Amino acid sequence: MASLAGAALSLAGLAFQNLFRNYLAGPNILGVTSGSAFGAVLAILLFSFNPYTVQTLSFLFGLIAVFFAYRLGKLVGNGIVGLLLAGIAVSAFFSALVGMAKYLADPYDKLPAIVFWLLGSFAGIRWANLKFFSIPMFIGILGLTAMRWAFNVLSLGDEEAKALGMHVGLYRGFIIGLAALAISAATAVSGMISWVGLVSPHIARLLVGYDNRRLVPASAFVGATLLLICDDVARTLTPSELPLGVITSIIGAPILVAVLARRKITDA
Amino acid sequence: MLRMNNLKFSYSTEQVLKGVNLKLKKGIGCLLGPNGAGKSTLLKCITGILKPQAGEIELDAKDILSLHFRERARWVSYAPQEFSVNFPYTVFEVVLMGRNPHAGIISGPKEEDKRKTTEALQALGISHLKGVPFTSLSGGQRRLVLIARALAQDGALLVFDEPTSFLDFKNQITVLSVIGEISERTGKIVLLSLHDPNLALLFCDEVFLMKEGKILKCGKSDEVINEENMHTLYMLKVNVINVKSGKMVVPTGNFIRNSPFRS
Repeated sequence: MASLAGAALSLAGLAFQNLFRNYLAGPNILGVTSGSAFGAVLAILLFSFNPYTVQTLSFLFGLIAVFFAYRLGKLVGNGIVGLLLAGIAVSAFFSALVGMAKYLADPYDKLPAIVFWLLGSFAGIRWANLKFFSIPMFIGILGLTAMRWAFNVLSLGDEEAKALGMHVGLYRGFIIGLAALAISAATAVSGMISWVGLVSPHIARLLVGYDNRRLVPASAFVGATLLLICDDVARTLTPSELPLGVITSIIGAPILVAVLARRKITDA
Repeated sequence: MLRMNNLKFSYSTEQVLKGVNLKLKKGIGCLLGPNGAGKSTLLKCITGILKPQAGEIELDAKDILSLHFRERARWVSYAPQEFSVNFPYTVFEVVLMGRNPHAGIISGPKEEDKRKTTEALQALGISHLKGVPFTSLSGGQRRLVLIARALAQDGALLVFDEPTSFLDFKNQITVLSVIGEISERTGKIVLLSLHDPNLALLFCDEVFLMKEGKILKCGKSDEVINEENMHTLYMLKVNVINVKSGKMVVPTGNFIRNSPFRS
């Protein structure tokens, strides 16, 4: 399960890095993760803690957040800049709602549940959910893998891609949809662990270079492995399980710096 | 043959192309005109980056505007004026992307596409650069790579937006010689834009003088580029003198002392 979520997040991160032509893009750039977090928090707040409702609402709100970002982006402008700004706005909006929910939550009962969920964990997984949420993750992973050549062309920018025969709007919408499915499902079952999606493509680039035809499978593999390792560490380091989101960031942050220092990014 | 009929385009309020008519049978055609005349906009309309609001574009009697992106990109190749790559793809990878309209949507480029890419690199004499990251190339080399990509794209029409911009004196000549050679060898039509009328005299068959969204004059380069037309186009007094290689445009008088940029 951890490896499936890792692969899904990593591919979604890579997809956004190509669409936005930016190394710093991660799964949360369109507000998916924030939306999912709010969905989960809402479920905890309104209903008694029940993994099924938490994960379902989390999944739905992730998709809703992306839908809003996508539509608002079209209002702002046609290009990726409009999308990016809308994504930031949607993300900030849902983060604020999460903050509000925490403030209102019962500090003895609900708040700890919210905090623990936000930190990320696979502990809440049940077999029935796993089967359900693995479907969108699989669709996302397979779909994004199929788009690996298109990533190359799209990463050149809108005008270039159009002149090279790409229906940019169509592909972008399709890829964002696939990435949203993958991220929402992964966040629903595991909480806020989106950092993996930013780091893994960078590690993969070090291994296979920049061509997405090789980079996509490599990123999926690295994401899967990285999250699996983090999950094992989270479960075994101390007698009680540590939150997964904390471990991924503690392990991921130094890895990212090491990888980037090794590669020496030169601005184009 | 490339033919444009009454082509119109506006960005939200400002009309940039005000009914462009243009006809280019073969060889190299050149758009010449001041900044803001609409040259880049016109070229972007041909390549499908912009959608004109009215008018027709025909290439070999085929209605280009009715084609979808993929189909059109097989007919029209394009090399942009500015090209920023955010990821350091290798030269081979960049040129291979020119094959996008021929490659599989999911499966990507095939053996045939790789062969055409290798051929294009050879044609421009840059095979030795194929493993080098595009971002580490010099301006002149980058330009050659983009021309190679347009060649690999294999359209019947090659469109180059200011292929000489940012290049040094020699590289401008190199790039235009290469384009001339390609046009002669393959018989493809070339439409490009330039800022230097002398380069147009040296390398281009037909010249289209463009100003304020319209084509003012067109014809053989050494006929159209004369003192009167240059003055109408640029509001600048010039002498057109005869030199060994043909004609040459030289600004006249005390243009330096009277330059509007000097107070």
